[in-house]
Amino acid sequence: MKHPRNNKNKKKWKKRPYQVHPQARDRKTTRLNILPADRWIKVKRGVILLEALQKAGIDLESECGGLGTCGKCKVRIITAIGPPDEQEKALLSPEALEHGERLACRIRIKKSMVVYTDLAPSELEMVQILKYGQTPEVDLDPLIEKYPVQVTPPSIEHAESDFYRLRAAMGAPYSQMRITTRCLRSLYRKLRRNDFKGDAVIHRNCLLALEPPGSIRGRYGIVFDIGTTTLVGKLIDISEGVEISVISRLNSQFRYGSNVINRIQYVREKKQGQKRMREILIRDLNLITRRLLEANGLTPDDVFIAVAAGNTTMQHFLLGLDPSGIAEAPFSPVITEGVTFRTAELGLEFHPDAMLYVMPARSGYIGGDLISFILASGAAEENEKMILGLDFGTNGEIFLGNRHRMLTCSAAAGPALEGARISRGMIARAGAIESVRVEDNHLQYRVIGNIKAKGLCGSGLVDLVAVLLHYGVIDREGFLGPDQIQEEGDLFHSRVRPRRDAPVYDFVVAEPGESLDGQPILLTQKDVRELQLAKGAIAAGVKILMQQMGVTAEDVDILYLAGALGNYVNPYSAMRIGLLPITAAEKIISLGNAASAGARMALLSKSHWTKAVALAEQIEHFELSVQPEFEEAFVESMDFPSRNLW
Amino acid sequence: MTIDLNPLSEAVIKGNIQAATQETQKALDGGGDPQTILDQGLIAAMDIVGQRFAAGAMFVPQMLRSAKTMQACVALLKPAFQAGTVSSKGTVVMGTVKADLHDIGKNLVAMMLEGAGFTIIDMGVDVLPEAFVQTVSEKSPEILGMSALLSTTMPAMKATIDALKDAGLRDKVKVMIGGAPVTAKFAGEIGADRYAPDAGSAVAAAKELLQTS
Repeated sequence: MKHPRNNKNKKKWKKRPYQVHPQARDRKTTRLNILPADRWIKVKRGVILLEALQKAGIDLESECGGLGTCGKCKVRIITAIGPPDEQEKALLSPEALEHGERLACRIRIKKSMVVYTDLAPSELEMVQILKYGQTPEVDLDPLIEKYPVQVTPPSIEHAESDFYRLRAAMGAPYSQMRITTRCLRSLYRKLRRNDFKGDAVIHRNCLLALEPPGSIRGRYGIVFDIGTTTLVGKLIDISEGVEISVISRLNSQFRYGSNVINRIQYVREKKQGQKRMREILIRDLNLITRRLLEANGLTPDDVFIAVAAGNTTMQHFLLGLDPSGIAEAPFSPVITEGVTFRTAELGLEFHPDAMLYVMPARSGYIGGDLISFILASGAAEENEKMILGLDFGTNGEIFLGNRHRMLTCSAAAGPALEGARISRGMIARAGAIESVRVEDNHLQYRVIGNIKAKGLCGSGLVDLVAVLLHYGVIDREGFLGPDQIQEEGDLFHSRVRPRRDAPVYDFVVAEPGESLDGQPILLTQKDVRELQLAKGAIAAGVKILMQQMGVTAEDVDILYLAGALGNYVNPYSAMRIGLLPITAAEKIISLGNAASAGARMALLSKSHWTKAVALAEQIEHFELSVQPEFEEAFVESMDFPSRNLW
Repeated sequence: MTIDLNPLSEAVIKGNIQAATQETQKALDGGGDPQTILDQGLIAAMDIVGQRFAAGAMFVPQMLRSAKTMQACVALLKPAFQAGTVSSKGTVVMGTVKADLHDIGKNLVAMMLEGAGFTIIDMGVDVLPEAFVQTVSEKSPEILGMSALLSTTMPAMKATIDALKDAGLRDKVKVMIGGAPVTAKFAGEIGADRYAPDAGSAVAAAKELLQTS
């Protein structure tokens, strides 16, 4: 029999004719008909369409968090509506407006309307994310211990309590062991059912469970990499130290803004914002966990331990803390310490007594992800070599040093390298041009997923600009135009086209026939400027740390890259545009998903967790915005290097 | 006698300090009127720089170099002016709002406005609404310019405008705002007079506000 409530919901979503809902007579509320899902939702008059859709669980992209600057929350309004505002006119083409395309964040719902939302179908799980981080050897001493025990059955001579005899059987190190209520309640039964044998699952000298001998319970742990854009979960076999499965998905919080500042602003403006951010994240993590476990025939009760690493803001969302302090000077977070919580308290679905470790951070912008990166690189144990680490993201996180001194900073690169603020930019998912080169006098590009191109992701953008610099289509100041094209770059002349509205040029990457939406994929002059800002900020951050350390690019012995872009970007292209300092290619090592690699090390070894905690205290953090040299270094780094390595 | 100021303008646009200062000196030695050299040589060149920057045809380093070139030329002109004869287009008080430390965009706008002949009072970063109000009341500028780079610090712009209203100063000064997350719509909502998307457009906007050329 169906639950009556389900029936009610079903009735509400029933298909209705293509018109205004007959019951929409209430003055304060009105109805939206959302296509193609054909859902009817009741909304308050006067609310913003984007917010109403988000509340209904409809994922629209929005990088700017509803400010009306990114132009990504496109919908088609089918019913009559007032004229577009200035921002819509600026961000949508006249043809698009003609077709009824509008920006959901610009529209205040005044009357009932029909909205078509599926203009850019979201593909939550078709994302190319780097799942396989380099995994250094770790001496196993995991955060959760599992011990086989043989307890003496009670007798007249040994009539002590079950718990006493259990501790006695485990030996001296466990003489002071504690036990959870849940475990204690089932102890009598469990001991007797298995002939007084079992596997003890222990966390910090506290018995969490006594499982049948040889049980898989307690054998696995999970690590989470909680990125602003993507979430990655890995199932780890603690007893062997091996990675079993990996699952990733887009962070569903993206519909509240692509960057942490916009999400924090949402938390500050909305009464339930903080709660909602936490719930969305926990729901995503539970989905990942469930799929990881199902794929391996496990249940949540089998897992007693998880380790999470993310930037400081994401770690705040995970714990349900107010991250407001991070979003304005002096950028002070609620907590940076590495902490341990019962997963049940946070809403994560594991064994009820399972524990979650959250990696220590250093500051509002040097998070547990960078600490994990340093841990995974082994840089903090290196005696002689000078090690530089770069994690490209909206904030480019940088470390430089070794055992003697470790400097870190976070450079506000902006989202260009993740495809945002680039006219045809996109994150690295199906349809993204991920690499570009010239072969047989043709411009060749590779598209993720082998479909027609939709846009450019970070690695494709870096490649493209490097190629255009090489052939003189872009000069070292970043000007895009036909005047300085090299002889061998003849093939590009037909692709450089003047813009009608400004004295600048566009570069045609893909003609309408080659693209998925039939619109040409262009690289505009403004796109080049955005890239210059992004790579300039990162290069300036590297420069400042090098100055502080008293070294130059030649002194760097190893350059570690973290994250998806670090893995997929062509290092020569990155050097050509000045995103990476010029160095020998063999010194560049991609650590892949370094945040989860570091979290895995902490999971597998208590000493690595302790190291991470110590590291977070020892590293020096430079707040670039208060460094007087930063502005100069930033401006200097905006031009492209004139040196040509190719 | 007319002096050809085109080579001077060209040098400023290219950011060639040496050529520009030489041209300035040549114009002065040739008996040129300092005000004409300033207006038709330097400020006219910076106008073009601002337009090109707004279109994306020039970028930050090039614009800065042009602004520095202009400053070097103005330094040469200064002695030629009688005290007080350099006319200012108006005074602009500028700053980045409370709890925001982003400096660079605001500095660019200040340089471009200076290049266009405005007098700038730069209050730096993390400027409290009260501090803006106090400076506006003391210096009576024509324009107050505010910058915010974070969507979380944008509300401080509204707070400043409200504080100006409370102090009875709102109708005595034009308010211009800018910064990456700021939009024209936001400017309208909080009661600012103008929004400028970049340093080049800021000059045009300031002139429009004061109806000067």
